[in-house]
Amino acid sequence: MQPVECATCGNQVLCEKFSRAHTSVQWTAEAAVVCTEFRARVTAGATSARIRTCRALRRSIDDAVENGTLEITDV
Amino acid sequence: MTALDDGVRIIDAGKPPARFARGWHCLGLTDDFKDGKPHEIEAFGTKLVVFQGTDDGQLHVLNAYCPHMGGNLAHGTVKGDAVACPFHDWRWSGNGRCAGIPYARRVPPRARTRAWLTLERNKQLFVWNDPEGNPPPAEVTIPEIEGIHGPDAGEWSEWTWKTLRVEGSNCREIVDNVVDMAHFFYVHYAFPEYFKNVFEGHIATQYMESSPRGDMDLGTLSSGRLRSDASYYGPSYMIDYLYSEVGGGIDGDVEGGSGSGSEGGSEMEIVLINCHYPIDENSFQLQYGAIVKKLPGMTDEQAAEAARLTAEGATAGFEQDVEIWKNKTRIDNPLLTEEDGPVYQLRRWYEQFYVDAADVKDEMTRRFEFEIDTERANKAWRSEVEENLASRAEQTGTGA
Ligand code: FES
Ligand SMILES: [Fe+2]
Repeated sequence: MQPVECATCGNQVLCEKFSRAHTSVQWTAEAAVVCTEFRARVTAGATSARIRTCRALRRSIDDAVENGTLEITDV
Repeated sequence: MTALDDGVRIIDAGKPPARFARGWHCLGLTDDFKDGKPHEIEAFGTKLVVFQGTDDGQLHVLNAYCPHMGGNLAHGTVKGDAVACPFHDWRWSGNGRCAGIPYARRVPPRARTRAWLTLERNKQLFVWNDPEGNPPPAEVTIPEIEGIHGPDAGEWSEWTWKTLRVEGSNCREIVDNVVDMAHFFYVHYAFPEYFKNVFEGHIATQYMESSPRGDMDLGTLSSGRLRSDASYYGPSYMIDYLYSEVGGGIDGDVEGGSGSGSEGGSEMEIVLINCHYPIDENSFQLQYGAIVKKLPGMTDEQAAEAARLTAEGATAGFEQDVEIWKNKTRIDNPLLTEEDGPVYQLRRWYEQFYVDAADVKDEMTRRFEFEIDTERANKAWRSEVEENLASRAEQTGTGA
């Protein structure tokens, strides 16, 4: 797994991509504490575990694939 | 080991945990326990008695075996707010205290049996199990379902409810289903087109979008696409929010083939509960049921019928799971591909319920997300289904 930093909030996660469509994300801290998007939604009453994804983080992961910092392990 | 066996993958069957998961466990629909009789539940390696107090109206859960001489309270009678033992009529109240012994001058000083912590929610009864004997932390609870507790509850059907006793399997087998993308094709006859898992805290979620295989007919539920958003809240209670595409009729008719004609894009909202409690380390009681939100123009009867069909569809599905479980081995070291879901991470999450609260590690509860690339698998499955349909058409001799 490779570290990826969220461009919006600076939160760092560990990622793995077997292919373009596959994504594995291991958070390394409490999501509702470190992530701006999660924090806002949890404050508004959402349950962190029930949020499907952080859109900003998702963009950062896509960008990391685009600029080659996150490699797709698929050969 | 001979040279022939070199590199052979050896299955590690492990052994089921020696304790039962910490968490809320659903025992059934509250109404089913509110008939004035004591009910016997085989769970957590013992027997429990569930009864409703005549005066307090509350549901109580006690150990079934009477501390006097071991009589089974579930075979006794409810007397006031106590359950009376069939053996010598000792009375046990909902809080576990002996409320009286009609023939004795006094009640022994330490006459107390185990009372289980209960919760009534979603018209269901839950008990809290904790091998360490602690109460549940505030954040670990069973959420209220809108269709039961919400302002629009009147628009939803009543629960249909079914149970299935599974012998010879530890309940981890059913929890594994959360991540098992491929079995939805082989065992449940669906194309899982989108599949994502999220584990965080005590919640494990499966997001799935699927459509039915054209070559199999389960004869239930809708013939259209299905969106499913299903979470385990703790080790054993899953709420599955289902959104089912319905074609023309709303009476649950299933067309055999691909009834591509109907455009009528309405969606049926269903809540399916999938829960279980351990009977012992090698068997568990599976329970499930559904409520359905009435579509515009739907009568109560039609909604009830839709809920019944949903439960029936679930029955067919679970029976196919059970058939697999009955014949498989427990496996602690599954051999996986990139198209399989995160089995190891799910089990790491599940482990939190089997260790002391103080030993729950961050890695068990930290947020983890896994989105499977379903494209390759579905391509292979689509062509398999097409072949099946083609060879079937050949056999039935289309075009005289
Ligand atoms: S064993 Fe229950 S009253 Fe004697
Ligand atoms: Fe299954």
